[in-house]
Amino acid sequence: MNTSPPEADRFRRTLVRVMTVQLITLLLLGWLQIAFTP
Amino acid sequence: MHPINWLIVIGWIGYIVIDGVRRAKGTREIEGYFLANRSLPWWAVGLSVMATQLSAITMIGTTGQGATDGMRFVQFYFGLPIAMVILGVTLVPLIRGAKVYTAYEYLERRFDARTRSLTAFLFLLSRGMSCGTIIAAPAVVFSAIFGWNMGLSVALIGVPTVLYTMIGGVQAVTWVDVKQMFLIVGALLAVVVTLLIQLPVSPTDALHVAGAAGRLRVYDFSFSLSNTYTFWSGVIGGTFLMLSYFGTDQSQVQRYLTARSVDEARSSLLMSAYWKIPLQALVLLIGVLVFTFYLFARPPLLFNPAHDRAVRAALPAAYAELESRYVAEVTARDLAARDLTKAEDTPAKAVAAQRFKQRVDQVESVRSEALALASQVTGQQSKDVNYIIPRFVLDHLPIGLAGIFIAAILAAAMNAVAAELNSLATASVIDFYKRWVRNEAPDAHFLAVSRAATGFWGIFACVVATFAANLGSLIEVVNRFGSFFYGSILGVFLLAMIPRARGTGAFIGLIAGMCAVGAVNFGAPSVSFLWHNVVGAVTVVVVGVLLSGGRAAAPAAT
Repeated sequence: MNTSPPEADRFRRTLVRVMTVQLITLLLLGWLQIAFTP
Repeated sequence: MHPINWLIVIGWIGYIVIDGVRRAKGTREIEGYFLANRSLPWWAVGLSVMATQLSAITMIGTTGQGATDGMRFVQFYFGLPIAMVILGVTLVPLIRGAKVYTAYEYLERRFDARTRSLTAFLFLLSRGMSCGTIIAAPAVVFSAIFGWNMGLSVALIGVPTVLYTMIGGVQAVTWVDVKQMFLIVGALLAVVVTLLIQLPVSPTDALHVAGAAGRLRVYDFSFSLSNTYTFWSGVIGGTFLMLSYFGTDQSQVQRYLTARSVDEARSSLLMSAYWKIPLQALVLLIGVLVFTFYLFARPPLLFNPAHDRAVRAALPAAYAELESRYVAEVTARDLAARDLTKAEDTPAKAVAAQRFKQRVDQVESVRSEALALASQVTGQQSKDVNYIIPRFVLDHLPIGLAGIFIAAILAAAMNAVAAELNSLATASVIDFYKRWVRNEAPDAHFLAVSRAATGFWGIFACVVATFAANLGSLIEVVNRFGSFFYGSILGVFLLAMIPRARGTGAFIGLIAGMCAVGAVNFGAPSVSFLWHNVVGAVTVVVVGVLLSGGRAAAPAAT
């Protein structure tokens, strides 16, 4: 892909942030299930 | 509905139409009309992408699903962030860099005109129909609740949307989307706060009760091809569906083609990757909280008021008997829920939870009988999932907030429809009229044709909506329309990234992909439609590569 190094770096950082937010969301949903479902 | 609520709804629609029409200023050529001269900031494009997906079906159908089925529907979206990331590094730079108006235009540069025309035709067919169902979903509900005829409900959503989309083009669509997204998210948050205030138990107790009824079960790790809402269906099938939708559907591709640069186009997609799952979880949580609310306040036996009136008139004695049983069961469920919130130690909680679950099942059993009765009397499918939230909003939200929420439902419908109309007009004009009928003409001519095409698709969608009232579960209908073609079209775009793939392979592969989906749909109807996308995409790639022979074709156009 025609992506310059700074652009690729920025994309990688955004990618890490996106995945972190998803992980936190999935963990929160998991907690909701485990903590409140008998 | 209270006059103040109507004033809010009408005021908001008027404001949106005026604001959208104002965006027509300065639009003199089709690049401005269809692509905003590729000048929009990433955050506006990102909000527009999110607004396009958040239709009225999400506002009434998904919240209703939260109330009846719990949170597990959120698994459907697990593939979305993965798809966005893949698209960010693959298709977005390819299509955005090709300086095209439509995703299908790129396919002619890479393959040939017939592959472009077939994919564009499939898009027009599936999106034209689904646009009608997007209007029909809230229109059916409004008709039943306010006693309007279907034509009036369709016109309330369709006319303002067609007006601002036709005159203002993509500028109007995007900036109206931005404003409506704030209204929608604000309305959702306000409902959550109101619900928490109105509940007679603490938020923690409310969650315990909802959990005991199975409404907080999010994850299902079983692997089943027939179950749409499992972790694996969401991650694998969902990734393919989202790749197809965001990567090859003109209604989405056109959003990021309006961005200032490739980087801004990617950022706009990543905004959805950030917020889609949390937003969807919030929407479902509202449904769960409404379910909890109705544990302590008597819910209607039938949420669809039209069916309620029909059964009451046709079978008064049977309905009265059902209603008295319902009241008794609901009262017993209320007491069981309160017992559960008061239980102190773990064994007592387990016993109370089991009793409560039995009471929930009893209430649902009586409701099933009432739904069957409604079905028998009206001759229509009597699932009333889509009526739960509108009834709650009108019966229990304070004056003003109810108007805001109804305006938000209309806003969601308008956003989704506007993006569809704009993209349908773009594909009609760019991929057919300009390609096959008249290649050269002044911009004023193409602009006039584009506005006429938008108007045509608006009328088409309204006609489909008027007759789509009885298409069954509307959420699934919309998704099913797309699933017949989505996977195969994605397969063609994947093929475009394989250097050796050629036009004939792509064209025959596309037809083979659709045949494979048709075979699975009719030969194995139990397979969930989410997997159709996987079948279609894989078939196109395999057939396309096999038919393209061993030589590498010309490199992909950029």
